[in-house]
Amino acid sequence: MAGFSIRHVSKVYGGAVPTVALEDIDLTIHDGEFLCILGPSGCGKSTLLEMLAGLQLPTSGEIVYGDKILQGPDRRLGVVFQDPSLYPWRTVFENVELGLEIRGVKKADRKNTVQKYLTMVGLDGFEHKYPHQLSGGMKQRAGLARALANRPDVLLMDEPFGAVDHLTRLQLQNDLLNIWEAEKKTVVFVTHDVNEAVFLGDRVVLLSPRPGKLKQIFNISHQRPRERGDAGLLKIQNDIYAAIYENKKQAEPEYHL
Amino acid sequence: MSERGILWRIVAGQILLLVLFLGTVEVVVQKGIVGRLYLSAPTQVVQELVKLLQQSETFRNLYVTLLEFTLGFGLSVVLGFGIGLFLVLVSRAEQFFNPFLSALMAIPKVTIVPLLTLWLGIGLVHKVAVVFLFCIFPIIYNTVAGIKQTSENYLKVARVFEATSYQTVTKVILPSAVPSIFAGLRVSAGSGLIGALFGEMLASKEGLGNMLVQSTSLYDTARVFALITVVTVVSILIIAFINLLEKKVFLRWKSS
Repeated sequence: MAGFSIRHVSKVYGGAVPTVALEDIDLTIHDGEFLCILGPSGCGKSTLLEMLAGLQLPTSGEIVYGDKILQGPDRRLGVVFQDPSLYPWRTVFENVELGLEIRGVKKADRKNTVQKYLTMVGLDGFEHKYPHQLSGGMKQRAGLARALANRPDVLLMDEPFGAVDHLTRLQLQNDLLNIWEAEKKTVVFVTHDVNEAVFLGDRVVLLSPRPGKLKQIFNISHQRPRERGDAGLLKIQNDIYAAIYENKKQAEPEYHL
Repeated sequence: MSERGILWRIVAGQILLLVLFLGTVEVVVQKGIVGRLYLSAPTQVVQELVKLLQQSETFRNLYVTLLEFTLGFGLSVVLGFGIGLFLVLVSRAEQFFNPFLSALMAIPKVTIVPLLTLWLGIGLVHKVAVVFLFCIFPIIYNTVAGIKQTSENYLKVARVFEATSYQTVTKVILPSAVPSIFAGLRVSAGSGLIGALFGEMLASKEGLGNMLVQSTSLYDTARVFALITVVTVVSILIIAFINLLEKKVFLRWKSS
């Protein structure tokens, strides 16, 4: 079984004044679950995601994936970035096949996989467009297809819908859930949107900022497909807001100039 | 007034200004207000240009200049690009070589040309060296700048897919540096042609620069203006060719 076990992980950025980005995070991510990491900006949630992706290493503690300590990027871990970071000199198709191409999969063998995931994310007919010809939502779809086409076991998503308009975002959330159910992958989804976290996640991990600490974990056992505006979901949402607010009162007095 | 109407007026104004200017020069020269030694009437220049284009000598010299330019420019593209890559990709290389490069770049290149004559004579090799000297630095500089500008996020994507260093260079770093590299090529192409002409004007047996100097020393002013016209057209064509290459081969992704 593959899953993450995050053991007492801290991340300190060096420099003249060292900054503690994350402090003593202890968390298990189960295989196949949809986990949302929620927190305000500066709470280190993107740092945590990059460590899960092997793009950064913890300063102390360890992250175990499967049965090995994570030392760097791993083929089984796919990442969807906030800024989709498609390569502007490649078409949508060529962007999506990047992972397979780097792994040396033959061109003919790549084609079917790429086409399958382009269809899955709803980009049929856009294969030969360049990224600058796509809308924000479509770029994110392409970014998702690029991660999926490499056939990872885990999708690590860093505020992927942060930059698209609200209605597009709702649609992308629905589509993501469908894909998650069809593909049976573990998803770790970073967001600062409480509503989004509660609608998507099996669990929501709330981080508090400066330094980033694990504040509270919320279980969301509601059946899927979920209704937006479901009373039970709203209740959890309010609990989360309460937890955030309490946190603010304690740790971050407002300064007025 | 509509945007289109304004545009037409601007174009009409531009044509008018040009005609006025050329007409004034024509009259000033024809009436003898300024001697034919100093200035040429546009009609004379056109006649001279037609004459030039009928002489095989012109094309032989044009060929010589273009050959010098092409060899020198080609050499600087290959070496400049290679040096640029080396500086950024080999760790600490830029840090080490930077003072030397800056010093070399700061030398006004024209001052080296007579020395090059001493070392290399007045033939093709000399001109190629001059063109090379005029071209190489902007190419190195822009290659380095382009590579360094590669977005951190593009590199992250490559790392996630576990790209090798070689793959990262060929699939990410180079493609993203293409616009900057081409900016360098355009700058160098212009100065490379200047280098070829300047070298020929200083010390040579042939080439358009040589023709220019000869015509000037024979006080054949109309021919000088005609040659300037030819050189200008060549310069425009070279830049247009580079733009076309960039658009068709390397930047399909920006053209539409």
